Amino acid sequence: MHSDFDLHLAADLDDALASLAPAAGEAGRPAAMALAGGTNLIVDLRGRRARPRRLVGIGRLEGLRWLRVDAGGIAMGARTTVTDLLESPALAAAAPALHGAARVFAGQMVRNAATVGGNIACGSPAADLVPPLMALDAEVVLEGPAGTRRVALADFYTGYKADVRAAGELITEIRCPPRPAGSANLFYKLARRQGDAITVVGVAVALEAAAGRCRAARIALGAVAPVPLRARAAEALLAGATLDAPAIARAAESAAAAASPIDDIRATAGYRREMVAVLTRRLLTRAWQAIG
Amino acid sequence: MTTTDRTLAEPAPRDTNVRYNQIGKPLVRTDAPGKVTGRTPYAGDYTMPKMLHAKVVRADLASARLKRIDVTRARALPGVACVLTAADMPDRNIATDIPGQTGRDRLKTDQQVLVRERVRYFGEPLALIAAESRDVAEAAALLVEVELEPIAGVYDPEEALKPGAPIVTAPDNVVATYRIRRGDVEAGFAAADVIVENTYRTQFQEHAFLEPEVGLAWVDENGVVNIRVSTQVIEHFRAVADALGLPHNKVRVLGAMVGGGFGGKEDVTVELYLAILAMHTRRPVRLEYSREDSFVGHGKRHPFKLVYRTGVTRDGRITALDVQALADSGAYVFLSPYVLLYCAVNASGPYRVDNLNVFARAVATNNMFTSAFRGFGGMQACAAYEQQMDEVAGAIGMDRLEFRRRNLLRTGEPMATGFVPPSSIWTEKCADLAWEALGEQTPDDGPVKVGRGIACYQQSYGRLTFLKDTSEAWVGVEIDGTVTVRSGVTDIGAGQASSLAHIAAEILGVTLPNVIVYNSDSQVTPLAGTTTATRALYMTGNAARQAAAALRERLVAVAAEVLGAAPDAIELASNRVAVADDPARGMSFAELVRLCAARGVHRSELAIFRAPFTSPLDPETGQGQAHPDYVYGAHAVEVAVDTETGEVRVLKCIAAHDVGQCINRAAVEGQIEGGTQNGLGYALTEEMLYREGRLVTPSFSEYLMPTAMDMPRVQSIILESRSGIGPFGAKGIGEPALTPVAPAVANAVADAIGARVFEYPITPERVVRAIAGRDRAGAAAGG
Ligand SMILES: Cc1cc2nc3c(=O)[nH]c(=O)nc-3n(C[C@H](O)[C@H](O)[C@H](O)COP(=O)(O)OP(=O)(O)OC[C@H]3O[C@@H](n4cnc5c(N)ncnc54)[C@H](O)[C@@H]3O)c2cc1C
Repeated sequence: MHSDFDLHLAADLDDALASLAPAAGEAGRPAAMALAGGTNLIVDLRGRRARPRRLVGIGRLEGLRWLRVDAGGIAMGARTTVTDLLESPALAAAAPALHGAARVFAGQMVRNAATVGGNIACGSPAADLVPPLMALDAEVVLEGPAGTRRVALADFYTGYKADVRAAGELITEIRCPPRPAGSANLFYKLARRQGDAITVVGVAVALEAAAGRCRAARIALGAVAPVPLRARAAEALLAGATLDAPAIARAAESAAAAASPIDDIRATAGYRREMVAVLTRRLLTRAWQAIG
Repeated sequence: MTTTDRTLAEPAPRDTNVRYNQIGKPLVRTDAPGKVTGRTPYAGDYTMPKMLHAKVVRADLASARLKRIDVTRARALPGVACVLTAADMPDRNIATDIPGQTGRDRLKTDQQVLVRERVRYFGEPLALIAAESRDVAEAAALLVEVELEPIAGVYDPEEALKPGAPIVTAPDNVVATYRIRRGDVEAGFAAADVIVENTYRTQFQEHAFLEPEVGLAWVDENGVVNIRVSTQVIEHFRAVADALGLPHNKVRVLGAMVGGGFGGKEDVTVELYLAILAMHTRRPVRLEYSREDSFVGHGKRHPFKLVYRTGVTRDGRITALDVQALADSGAYVFLSPYVLLYCAVNASGPYRVDNLNVFARAVATNNMFTSAFRGFGGMQACAAYEQQMDEVAGAIGMDRLEFRRRNLLRTGEPMATGFVPPSSIWTEKCADLAWEALGEQTPDDGPVKVGRGIACYQQSYGRLTFLKDTSEAWVGVEIDGTVTVRSGVTDIGAGQASSLAHIAAEILGVTLPNVIVYNSDSQVTPLAGTTTATRALYMTGNAARQAAAALRERLVAVAAEVLGAAPDAIELASNRVAVADDPARGMSFAELVRLCAARGVHRSELAIFRAPFTSPLDPETGQGQAHPDYVYGAHAVEVAVDTETGEVRVLKCIAAHDVGQCINRAAVEGQIEGGTQNGLGYALTEEMLYREGRLVTPSFSEYLMPTAMDMPRVQSIILESRSGIGPFGAKGIGEPALTPVAPAVANAVADAIGARVFEYPITPERVVRAIAGRDRAGAAAGG
């Protein structure tokens, strides 16, 4: 059963922004919400977890659907779908973490509709594209009534299903800096089955190496805290180090300590924490080997 | 994908002279074209002018008193035709245990139609709504004001047995008890070299059929309430009539092609609500469950706790077995006693156990009620006896297959109840073939360890014989040589109707597309019983065979006369009738039927098939005949287990079943592949979880069945002993296909990690815990 709402299919970005601009909304009921692929929002409407007064469809904004992988890095419009990611060989080469996340994302029909912007904005701690994008040091471009601004994805979330967006702000772009030579990135989704499952633990790592040492490391964790997060202490342990087994093990334990998981029907907190260590260790090891 | 190894598939059948033209071939099922093209209407596709839409309002507590229900605001909503509560209808109950059977006393715990005072489980219906549209019905449901006062409930069968526990079913929550006693168990344990005791647990499982419950009801010109519904059992018309206080012939249930049942459409689902609303409004009413409604709307597979204690000699002979089984029957009885009985009679599986003690109980709780599910108690028994076989083999250091071989029942030997199954027992052949077909073992890969498992089984086909089951079918030939079969049997997707066509086609010598089946109409088609218990082919197939054979005899008599040959020299095949050794002397089948019509020969036949009728098992010893016969076979799997994360991937799946005789080979393979998918889910991912009775897995994002990504290739090895008591020596495959799958997986995981997860589903977390337990035990032993 849907709650009553108006549906406006925006013709272009300006129209979308104008329609999303906050009006005098009922208390506790957001005035307007963007509708991209609808793979989260429509489920929430059916379950009456979301009760907007107005839906602004951004499905016609083809200008927000693009993907560029080049010397300038990786950039994409917010309406890029998971299938778009999956079908890009350039992305598979440059960002195995993100491409790998697209591969284990939902099933084909949902991948065709689900967008990158929706995945980020839905705020789920288990959103699969977020840890890889965090590990790739992504930033999010926001456009709203007050203009355009950029926010690091790592600083985007402020709490469970809460983020820095002001009312009426849309995510329009996601950008990752260029990948230096001698770098590698990987993602692993641990779930209760192979296809179409909510993530139990997701871990993404990105390493940059020079002269046999780790120059920079980024580790991002999904489904083990109220928000996807970076394991900064673990990253710091790796920066400047040679990644032998003990160093990797220390970082893995540190990453596990950064997690604050809960018990739910999919797994206990204890198992999740343990798996953060296992997966972080494995991914760091493989990424380090890949750099050679 | 399936491959059928033909060299394996055709062992010397008992009756080697028989050659069939169509039986056993992988023909295109009669229902296939309509389904593939989307033209087949299902129950939910039917609509009527002036139709109303219904909604069921349910309780959101599992144990409570209904203090107040106010439907004033819901009734006032424009477009609402009616909102009914228990106060609006006579205080009648609906039968929940095998309704319509021949005069058996029912347990006194039938379900209230709507909650009058006491809510016993989460989702119990409180009110029925009919409205001009689904949206209005949904909106009205939100306007029903309900005040529930929580009452302490009980959610664990062991708790429910304790003194002072809340009573769900008077006097002591025990809804059924069965005992099997054979030989001298004490002496058997005394003679054992080793005694192995383990506790195995199984979970609530959801049927998750593709098509949720749906139906359409209207009152016709005879004043009969017609209900077109997705069901396995059209003969619930009797239970519905009783609940409404109507004569039985004033309720008609019509089926349609069913989008999956698996036991979940064996009980009454939406039909009673539809009948109530159609009678009340005098308008057609449609009710379709959403997936969420469906999850709370029908019973689940019983969770069992099974304690197995086995005595064994060093040379691998089982000297004694003691089984304590405890099932959660939930808040209403439904089919719990029968499910429990299946568990009890199969407790020792396909093995010879001379000294056996089984004590099985089903206990009421405030959990969701549990009832029929493909495998029906035999599944849970197999979960325990096959895991226990591996554990015992391990305890005496014997090869798992060899240990099984030394104890398997052979043809002609008595099973746990002392009954000697009339057919061949080919378990060993199946096990050997399945194991061999696994081929070379996949190598380990670092922390990913590969393991293998096998499970043998015994699963009945046909209903409990004390239920005195019968089935009818009618076969008629038209003057142009086409054939019609009429039978009440419901087709739940396994090809039940197509099999009847296949049988009639073989016997009458017409091609399959020339046969049409009309089925599942309680007023029009001869009553055939339920499509449950792997009985449809056995029962209705036999009835169709009888009818077609009687008809054939009359037709052949005319052909013999006209062609001037002896009747047994006449052959019917490929829409022709001819003299067997002189095929030029013949005519078309149509010509023969025309000649018969001109002579006034009776061109149709109604037959009834009766299963063996027995009295119930001895209440003290459990000895006697429980079922008509049993199916035997084995399932072998290879799995890869990530020992660090606990993830399990199934690499190979080999199913070997002696089905007696395939009617349609493709349909048999379909059952085996579907059964495998269901069994893998049972072993690894599927679980309906309840917290204080409340469902916490209300949708497919929490309830996880294996997807295409999780499925291995399934190889079917189909053996045909032609020894079954179904048509042409057939046994059955509906339930057997599923029974051994999960324990085979459990045994493979245990083989891979050197530790056992004693509980389904075998989740990654449980695997990791089992490994940690193994390591701790190892460390303790080492230090
Ligand atoms: C069957 C199924 C399986 C799924 N499997 C997965 C999975 O494996 N992994 C996973 O991570 N997720 C999964 N999901 C969740 C969902 O598909 C993803 O989160 C998806 O990326 C959401 O994108 P969308 O375009 O559909 O968002 P929508 O549902 O349209 O919107 C989601 C939220 O984001 C907001 N929003 C959308 N676009 C923007 C924008 N440009 N700017 C600001 N706000 C915006 C909406 O207002 C809404 O609040 C699954 C969902 C389903 C139904």
